[in-house]
Amino acid sequence: MLAFAVRRIAVSVPILLISTFIVFMLASLSGNPLTPLLTRNPPPPPETIALEAERLRLNHPLLERYWMWLTGIFQGDFGPSVQSNLDIGAEVAARFLVTMRLIAVAMIVALVLAVVIGVISAVKQYSKTDYVATFLGFLFLAMPAFWLAILLKQAGIEFNNAVDEQVIYTIGDSSVPPPEGFGARLADIAGHMILPTISLALISYAAWSRYQRAAMLEVLNSDYVRLARAKGLSRRRVMVKHALRNALIPLTTVTALDLASIISGAVVTETVFQWRGMGDLLLTAIHSDDVYVVMAWLLVTASVVILFNLLADLLYAVLDPRIRYA
Amino acid sequence: MRRSRAAALAAIGAVATLVLAACGGGGGGGDGDPSEDGIYADCKANPNTCNAVPASELQQGGTITFAIEKNIPNWNINSSEGNVFEPALAIKTLLPWTFTTTPDLKMVLNENVLVSAEQTSTSPQTIVYEIRPEAVWNDGTPITADDFVFQWKTMNGKDCPGCAAAQNAGYDQIESITGSNDGKTVTVVFGTPYADWKNLFASGTPLYPAHIAAQQGDLNTPEGLQAAWDWFGATVPTYSGGPFQVESWQDNVALTLVPNPSWYGETKPKLDKLIMRVITDATQEPIALQNDEVQVVYPQPQVDLVEQLENIPGVSQYQGLGLTWEHLDLNLANEFLADEALRDAIFVATDVQAIIDSTVGQFNEEVTPLKSHMFVPGQEGFEEYLPPEQGSGDIERARQILTEAGYTNIGEGQQLTTPDGRAVPPLRIRYTVGNAIRQTTVELIQAQVRPLGLNLEIVPTDDLGETTDSGDYDLIVFAWVQTPASFSNAQQTWLSTSESNYGQYNNPEVDRMLNEAATSTDLEAARNLLNEAGAILAEDSYVLPLYQKPTIIAARDDVANARNNSSLDGPTYNVEEWGLRASS
Amino acid sequence: MPESPVTAPEAGSRAPEREFTVAERSQFQLVLRRFLQHRLAVGSLVVLLFLVLLAYVGGALWQYDFGEFTPDKSDPPSFDHPFGTDAAGKDQFAQVLRGTQISLQIAVLVALFSTIVGTVWGSVAGYFGGAVDTILMRISDLILTLPLLAVAAMLAHNFGGSWWLISLVIAGLYWAYVSRVARGVVLSLREKEFIEAARALGASDARIIFRHLVPNALGAIIVNATVLVALAILLETALSYLGFGVRPPDTSLGILVSEAQTALTTRPWLFYFPGLFIILIALTINFIGDGLRDALDPQQTKVRA
Repeated sequence: MLAFAVRRIAVSVPILLISTFIVFMLASLSGNPLTPLLTRNPPPPPETIALEAERLRLNHPLLERYWMWLTGIFQGDFGPSVQSNLDIGAEVAARFLVTMRLIAVAMIVALVLAVVIGVISAVKQYSKTDYVATFLGFLFLAMPAFWLAILLKQAGIEFNNAVDEQVIYTIGDSSVPPPEGFGARLADIAGHMILPTISLALISYAAWSRYQRAAMLEVLNSDYVRLARAKGLSRRRVMVKHALRNALIPLTTVTALDLASIISGAVVTETVFQWRGMGDLLLTAIHSDDVYVVMAWLLVTASVVILFNLLADLLYAVLDPRIRYA
Repeated sequence: MRRSRAAALAAIGAVATLVLAACGGGGGGGDGDPSEDGIYADCKANPNTCNAVPASELQQGGTITFAIEKNIPNWNINSSEGNVFEPALAIKTLLPWTFTTTPDLKMVLNENVLVSAEQTSTSPQTIVYEIRPEAVWNDGTPITADDFVFQWKTMNGKDCPGCAAAQNAGYDQIESITGSNDGKTVTVVFGTPYADWKNLFASGTPLYPAHIAAQQGDLNTPEGLQAAWDWFGATVPTYSGGPFQVESWQDNVALTLVPNPSWYGETKPKLDKLIMRVITDATQEPIALQNDEVQVVYPQPQVDLVEQLENIPGVSQYQGLGLTWEHLDLNLANEFLADEALRDAIFVATDVQAIIDSTVGQFNEEVTPLKSHMFVPGQEGFEEYLPPEQGSGDIERARQILTEAGYTNIGEGQQLTTPDGRAVPPLRIRYTVGNAIRQTTVELIQAQVRPLGLNLEIVPTDDLGETTDSGDYDLIVFAWVQTPASFSNAQQTWLSTSESNYGQYNNPEVDRMLNEAATSTDLEAARNLLNEAGAILAEDSYVLPLYQKPTIIAARDDVANARNNSSLDGPTYNVEEWGLRASS
Repeated sequence: MPESPVTAPEAGSRAPEREFTVAERSQFQLVLRRFLQHRLAVGSLVVLLFLVLLAYVGGALWQYDFGEFTPDKSDPPSFDHPFGTDAAGKDQFAQVLRGTQISLQIAVLVALFSTIVGTVWGSVAGYFGGAVDTILMRISDLILTLPLLAVAAMLAHNFGGSWWLISLVIAGLYWAYVSRVARGVVLSLREKEFIEAARALGASDARIIFRHLVPNALGAIIVNATVLVALAILLETALSYLGFGVRPPDTSLGILVSEAQTALTTRPWLFYFPGLFIILIALTINFIGDGLRDALDPQQTKVRA
């Protein structure tokens, strides 16, 4: 298994390399980072613009710029940002934590919801509960993420008005300045997390609960579950010990594989709720033609995705003893 | 449906009448929307003093959170990178300067810092600033001529070639700066006269502490100057010469300010904390304001945003008209647009009032067609010189102009043909993608010139700088900012040799007048020259001014002394006075 | 992309090739009958067809053009303007119908393009295995590491945002997912007896892939394609919200709904109608896909554990 993991990682390196090359070319060709300077009124002196062009390596040919970036990475240099004072490495690290906190909580909420609702739907297939759960699942799956988020914000304000207290917040991940006391602080953070978590979790949960339902149905139809029942084991015991355990295996991999799309989803969530995470960083970078920030974003995100894909494969092997990687 | 529309029109009419009655028909600057309410009820009459509450009626302490729409990537707002409106709003709470632009768009002496600033001689032009003896940085070091000298050397483009200054204009004309009276008297002598001298060391380019700069390197060498310059950009300030100082900075999230204990101004801040919260998506601001997560917002007005703000209980809002103006530009490098008759016809066929009605007029009934290129209403020297037929939408007159010039096929569905028999191909009209108001504007212009047989193809751009710089347009709609430095501003925009003259306008007479105005020491005469040059410019049908863009402030009703300032100084120009009403 | 539970249709039940047409029809009838039993799916199909007709036929017949300025500005819904008007006086009904057209076109183009490319790619990889499989699938992996949003945004930056360009960008990244699904199905089919039989009879590789493997994998792939249609519509909306979608003067449901994001409390008709259309389209397509899946998978029957 270790050999398999090492081999997979070795294969991923050239893939990552090619992908960075493609994105570097796209990003470098897609706009002029000097635009904000050129459109300034009054216009800055030409020397200023020349200095900035030099700093952003715009005087070097494109391929050389890529080479400079690539060799820089190994020395921990992520290249110059349009914002001259930005330390890209430190910025990405800080943003990564913010996004991961959002994603981790939302994924846990979504997973719990998905398993509970998926299992209930499967056990009570074609019942009223199943239909309602199915319909709701599909409904959330069909909603534009930011559209739902805007509605949620309005609902949050209504809620605050109803209880006449500031419970739910709509902007950022905590108050500035943070409230005094541990309890108050915790409540503040929770109040900021509620809406973004709901809006991100609802969308992932819908797909996963469908998946869980299908997996559960398959297991329930299998011979060994029938056998277990025939042996006279209790329904409850069969459900939990045999059926659910096996039905969780495919969901594990799907969750890991879905991480990439959740990171994409978080871009929208971060924008609506003004969280300063990776998504917000990417958007700002694209809008300001900040090539090297886009590259840092890509490096981190693609690495995480590759890592989780590997993890998915390994988990699958651990959970399902029938699968062996040579 | 019809009835409610009629009712709405009647309401608008009634309001408009009220407005006319209120301000005696004057279209002066600082005027706003008639829908202002609550704490901003008197802003139209008294733009400089509305929502004013004497310090004795303010509560001691409290926190106000103000939303800024951009992060603060650079703390040196005199540098090209740092010179951005939103971050400057926050940073200027820490810095001293010479002249402030008040909400009525006048430049007034900053009496916190200066006793006086006078032009004592016109040949050579000499300005003497008297700094208040009390004025000190928060470490106790006095604010002196040294700070002026540091600024001059870093921004004149000569002493520090590596300092990427936001502007050189004016600073590069200074011959010498000498301090006397312990540095509290500053004498500035110009090599060539600079009409916009009040704009130097003013709120647009405030002073940084020279004694702190000196810790970064030898200020007599370019390297030392640049080291200090870059240090100011990269370092979160602990220094302050303004009413507040930095307590903490969370990148991309918020700047927390507390009162500067050494603040020397007459008015001491009442607040415990002033927080500048970074909210980069303006559409989220009304919700945050409604939820009391911020108390003051200053977004770009849009129809829904304004209505949303109006609907929030316990929140007041006020719109003013600012220094930014929208305009329609023609590219004279285009072989067809090089002919003045066609340009005249396009400008006559464009109905500016109709454009306003479909865009900004939806949320601000006071916006009217702008009739000047040189000043906006409220600025000293403003004069309406645009020929009345330009922007009138008079199709018949436009057709007549074309017919008289010998054009044929003038009519909807036809293809306009020049006097020498060439068909005018579809011309490209451009605007910034995502700007809904400009999108509507260009669609309307497209429809308005169609009856001339002229077809416009709408091509959005996502890189306005690139598009204007390379002249990659036939027609284009965008905005200029009328900085308080009217004369150098005019040179940059209209001189045939200027890089910002994107449409390649070239009239030696205009060039001469603009240059003469910019180097004049008689402001009155200089302003007249600008207006004369503008009139010629208008006759040449090069740029059609559309309207002044509105600005909007909204605040919770317990916020006192924060008011709209449509100039580049923004609402934080009097931040030391901000506070919370005591009764609440 | 949420992976959908895709199960291959029962391949072993297929008759030998000589009776191909007869067997195909009976299988088709079987599927059709099962699909028609899925009431929600049938209802969804009716609604979707109605929406498509409304968008294309209704849009052409409607009294206002989508680019036309009417004198009624920011009017709430009325008989004259069923969906109200926006600030510039454009009829929102005409706008929504036009947006629906463009959004549907994007979705269908994405589904078609990525399904065709992805199926061929995955089938070839799965059938040949070995080095071919490794190379083809590594290229798929490469595409999967490219962040869709970032690449789409940059491409839109470069080439402007016409609707077909947006679809090509989305499809150019989605086919990799399809290729994975197709490969998985083909891998499970490859070792089945009827393929061995075909090979023994001397059928060429191309024939085996296109006559035997692809038709048998088709069920799974069609189900997947319906999911893609729904996803593409939502992705276009997200791109538009972030400012990288279709560009004016063209419009789309995504553009309409993101332009109206501030209108929720002030001019709700601008916010709800395009949103409702997006939900209706995505919802009905997902239900149709669900019905197809059930119909194509005879294993799933009612159970009692």
